[in-house]
Amino acid sequence: MRKFFPVDDLARDERFRTLTVADRIGDPRSTLNLNSDQSRRSSNRLAPSRKDATDAARSLMHGIFVGEIQALEGAGRTCWDFPDVNEGADDAIPFALKLDMARQAWDEARHVEISVKLSGWMGTEIGQFAENTVLFEAACSHDPVLRLAGVNRALEGLAIDVFTTMKEFGNLAGDPFLEFCEDWMLADEVTHVKMGSDWLRRLTETDPERRKKALEFQNVVDKLFSFGGTRSDSDESPIGLARRFRELAGFSDDEIETIAEVSRQALDERRTEASTLRRAAAAESFTKTTA
Amino acid sequence: MTVTVSPTEFKFVFFDAARIAAVAEEVMGLLGLTDDLVIEVDETTPVSRVILTEGSPLHIKAESGAFEDQRRPRHQSDATAQLALCRVLLRLKDRREGGFAEAPAEGELTLPQVAAWDSYVLGRLGRLGLPVHEQRWRYNFRNRHGFNDGADASFDQLFGSDHLSWGAVSAISEQARAAVTDAKA
Repeated sequence: MRKFFPVDDLARDERFRTLTVADRIGDPRSTLNLNSDQSRRSSNRLAPSRKDATDAARSLMHGIFVGEIQALEGAGRTCWDFPDVNEGADDAIPFALKLDMARQAWDEARHVEISVKLSGWMGTEIGQFAENTVLFEAACSHDPVLRLAGVNRALEGLAIDVFTTMKEFGNLAGDPFLEFCEDWMLADEVTHVKMGSDWLRRLTETDPERRKKALEFQNVVDKLFSFGGTRSDSDESPIGLARRFRELAGFSDDEIETIAEVSRQALDERRTEASTLRRAAAAESFTKTTA
Repeated sequence: MTVTVSPTEFKFVFFDAARIAAVAEEVMGLLGLTDDLVIEVDETTPVSRVILTEGSPLHIKAESGAFEDQRRPRHQSDATAQLALCRVLLRLKDRREGGFAEAPAEGELTLPQVAAWDSYVLGRLGRLGLPVHEQRWRYNFRNRHGFNDGADASFDQLFGSDHLSWGAVSAISEQARAAVTDAKA
């Protein structure tokens, strides 16, 4: 069986449409509140009080669904892509790590099924929204330690934030199915992050340089997923930073602060960029009107 | 009837003003409206709010998400645009045809009132032949009225009706919300 599967070759039927990182970053529009229109909401946090809450929750749920598919594919690849330590290769991993990845793949498969049912419950069809494949792209590294940092710590860490936000949404809306399902998946994600943290430490115990590179890669992925201020401590972000669950997953206070800072920077950058673009558009419109 | 769309050329999204105008003309015809219409698209935001202001001509301010293909961000979807325009225009038609005089102004409707009126509007649009995903609107109604059998029965009543007044729509909505309040008490 083939090793190191490229993102372009992921098996998807005609219902799915892939959104590339370039598509995502190339969209100059922003939901950030940049003008003085008082009728606009003051908070972007996903909550039932938002006028667009239903559709925003449906969109996020579909994002979770495709994310779970990719997490399943990523964990499965890590089981297979790297040789066992007994084979003596440089990129070998312990069999116990493969077992943990297999267990994670089992969890992710269950999450896919749950997400499909929740999407149906919310009135969403499979493939109704574009699929962002950046999660799997982070799972394509040829260094297993980078995969642990990028997928288990950065992306599964993001999943903790997302599931916490969705669980709170279900609670506030009085939706028992959403709240219950998100709570169970959240518990699994905490375990996945913990596995990533533990294995990262063990595999780099005698190689501080490799650990440093892995944590740098994690920062890059964290920033990528904070793009546009999607996730941060600020109410301007739809998804909050779930500090307590991150602690339970093994993140230190310093690590959580670093992620918070990265997210804050991403939000600031997006705000500046969106403001510049809107000013340019307004200026052009004014020029056309007065010409 | 004339339909004017601005901007005529888009910079943030790949929309086609002429296609938006054609969809709007089709929708106006479907609903039996003959007003002149101005549609202003705010392409700087992906949010999907649509605000209609009564007057001559009618004025619709739509954020780009309201006309967007969810599978192809920044690209136009005629089906999405059709539904977004129909929702606000059928509400306008309800107001004009009587029985909705006491309905709050568009900007003053509460979230449950909007969800209830939407349920009534979307059921009728489905029967007019537009593709309407009932479960999506049921979920929206539940988010505003509670996740229980009583709320579902209220949704069914609204979605399946053709001739309700504002008094009936708001009474069904209030009854559903009262059931949630009673259950919590």
